[in-house]
Amino acid sequence: MSSPPRPSLGQSVALVWRTLRSMRTALILLLMIGLASVAGSLLPQWPNTPDRVAQYRADHAFWGAFFDRAGLFDVFGSWWFVLLTTLLFVSLVACLVPRTRALARALRTPPVQAREIDALPRYAEVRSATSPEAAIALARRTLRRRRFRVALDPSRPALAAEKGVAREVGSLAFHWAFILLLAGVMYGKGTGFSGLIAVVEGQTWIDAEANYDGTIRAGRFFDGFTGVGLRLREFGSEFLQTGQPMDFVSRVDLLDADGNVLRQEDIRVNHPAKIEGLWIYQSSFGWAPVIEIADDGDVVSSGPVVMDRDPAPEGIVEFAMPWRGVVKLPGAGEGGVDRAVELELWPDSRAFTALLAGGEPQAMLVEFDPVIRFTVWEGLLTDLATTRLDTASLEEVSSGIVGAGRTSDLTDGQALPAGDDGSGTTISFPSLRQYSVFQVGRDAGVPLVLAAAILILVGLLPALYSSRRKLWVRADPADEGAVLRIGGLAMQRKPQFEEEFARLVDALEAATGGPSEPHVEREKVQTP
Amino acid sequence: MTDLQWARISNDAFNLALFAYLAAMVGYFVFLAFRRDAIWKISRLVAIAGVGANLVSVVARGLAADRVPWGNMYEYSSLLALLVVVGAIVVVEGVYKVRSLTGFALMFSVLTMAVAVSFLYVGPGPLVPALNSYWIKIHVQAAIWGSSLFALGGIATIAYLVVDRIERRRIEALGAQTPPPIMGGSVDLDAPGADATRGAAPADLVPDPAEDVESHSAKRRLMPSAAGLDRLAYRIIALAFPIWTFAVIAGAIWAQEAWGRYWGWDPKETWSFITWVVFAGYLHARATSGWKGRRAAVIALVGFASLLVTYYAVNLWIVGLHSYAK
Repeated sequence: MSSPPRPSLGQSVALVWRTLRSMRTALILLLMIGLASVAGSLLPQWPNTPDRVAQYRADHAFWGAFFDRAGLFDVFGSWWFVLLTTLLFVSLVACLVPRTRALARALRTPPVQAREIDALPRYAEVRSATSPEAAIALARRTLRRRRFRVALDPSRPALAAEKGVAREVGSLAFHWAFILLLAGVMYGKGTGFSGLIAVVEGQTWIDAEANYDGTIRAGRFFDGFTGVGLRLREFGSEFLQTGQPMDFVSRVDLLDADGNVLRQEDIRVNHPAKIEGLWIYQSSFGWAPVIEIADDGDVVSSGPVVMDRDPAPEGIVEFAMPWRGVVKLPGAGEGGVDRAVELELWPDSRAFTALLAGGEPQAMLVEFDPVIRFTVWEGLLTDLATTRLDTASLEEVSSGIVGAGRTSDLTDGQALPAGDDGSGTTISFPSLRQYSVFQVGRDAGVPLVLAAAILILVGLLPALYSSRRKLWVRADPADEGAVLRIGGLAMQRKPQFEEEFARLVDALEAATGGPSEPHVEREKVQTP
Repeated sequence: MTDLQWARISNDAFNLALFAYLAAMVGYFVFLAFRRDAIWKISRLVAIAGVGANLVSVVARGLAADRVPWGNMYEYSSLLALLVVVGAIVVVEGVYKVRSLTGFALMFSVLTMAVAVSFLYVGPGPLVPALNSYWIKIHVQAAIWGSSLFALGGIATIAYLVVDRIERRRIEALGAQTPPPIMGGSVDLDAPGADATRGAAPADLVPDPAEDVESHSAKRRLMPSAAGLDRLAYRIIALAFPIWTFAVIAGAIWAQEAWGRYWGWDPKETWSFITWVVFAGYLHARATSGWKGRRAAVIALVGFASLLVTYYAVNLWIVGLHSYAK
């Protein structure tokens, strides 16, 4: 007639808590995180490969939109991954707290005495010439020396001993270490940041928000930039004949917040520089030709132009691609219209001439008589902030070529003879420099994460390889001495315990064998 | 000797090792079929000769390239094959006295080397800057040792599943006539109440699950019981797991040095994590009632598959920061 009583809120909470506490739940959550990771590795991920995500979305309209909504393009940042991780950690804590309490209790309470020693998995009897009490005292000493925790039975000559608490201690340390790991990750990400900078040879960069390229990934509790800096003295690269890179090195001066040189350092792949908690990594590099544009000898624009490279088409090495950049000159054109000079750099002109002659694209690994092909556009510049050029509202006016150390006329594209600075508007290419891209970041959580990682390893070894074993000894009076009844059991690693038990019995026999030869016995005890 | 000569020696020794492993594998399978000790002795000798050749190949490769000989997949495969055979001979045959799995370990190594020489071969050359760090010694070594032990654990797990099925059938067949004998094999003696059984009966009458793996009387038996194989697989995986954990941690430290973050969910990182998670699941499952035995073994097999994905699929087909390791 009546429906079953609805569980009260307290009961529901208790049920959820009990479910979370079970190892089965933790296991299932762990395996679900594993499954989510599979998805995260098979589909392109925004934080890692944004281009491939965009490509995927373009190629698969329906599935792309679906995966995007499901968070599958950013699995490890999606709400459900965070939820799974949170649940796992809650489950972990729920499991660890009672276990830790139980361990603390077990460490405080002495080992429990046994009733029927001869019913234990391992059992042996040893004869002793001493009294039962003396035999137990000797046994206690022997076992203590072997690092057993020993408790004497107050009611009769007997003892209980146990060893191997390291297993549970190690297991708990291993599991608690993940909480520490999480704390370290959250602290590091919360207070840290990461960004990219491009620095041209000879230029100085200062750690300030405006001086980063693109987006800075900063944590919620990030507390500002340091003002330290670096000056790139020189960038160097080495390649094999095959085009395989051998070494990239940025030779830098590290500057303190007042601009004083702290020290010089070579930043390489695998050799970051560290200053004021900032880690500075070699990330990539490129060319930055110095370009000077002049009107009747008056310089209107001068400086290195940081260049990018188009992605190489299939089958062509990336180093064969020319480098592109743009100089934007608002209001500099005829009649006050905007002007832009689009630049295409060929660091090794041999590749350029070879291509013009109908040859194959060649990798340009070193600077060799570099040339720049330029195109002049006039009209309306819609975007002054970026290094990209939107030619929709621009018109091509002229084009030409300028070699390193030379000058060309910008209006008709004609190269001028050496020494001729020309009249009208000119473009000069005095020198070619390189720029280096650094990844700059701060993560104060690293020491915590490292500590957690060490704790994970240190805890794992006893958790896997040590075992809890218990031993009981009772001495019963026998003719002219005592008989020691020894029983033992191991919770894990039972075969190993068989041997250990035999050794323990031998040691106990040697120790209690008789009071007449104590010296020899002690030596015997100490043999492992 | 010149680099070129060392390279040639390395390649010749590689081929020699491959053929020796192949011959030893056939030998071990013949031994499984006919159970002659002499065949086992010869096969073992051939396998050890293969290990020698493999070692020469690895060392000569290092001398030819003038760096550690584990800088790409070909070299990694060669070392992996070596360690799997060494592990089979030293750990499985030597420590646990199980001879019947070595043939399968050799098969794994033969396949690994055949794939390496057919699809992954590159000449000896210097390392790309990203790999040029002392961490390559630590991280990659740990990964290879961990992988080789996981591979052996996977082989033992497969053997367990096969033998367990055979034993179950046998017990079923017996069960039709007589009650199943307690000595019959896969009766789970670790289950609750096992200790009580053991207490009641004289200790030497109750078989310990690991006894088949360890005691000398079991030497005569060719294939250990299912319980013994399960135990063996567990032991090897429990040995591999901390090494793998260390490999992942060392990789994270290296990533912090090289890429400026200790973890970035790069496909290699993700899959090594997945492998870690699956084997962690296996270790927990074995300690959870109801998940022991076949279920845990299936988890271990998933872990083994995940290990192969971590090694082959991630490097060859999934674009990521480890793609240079081809």
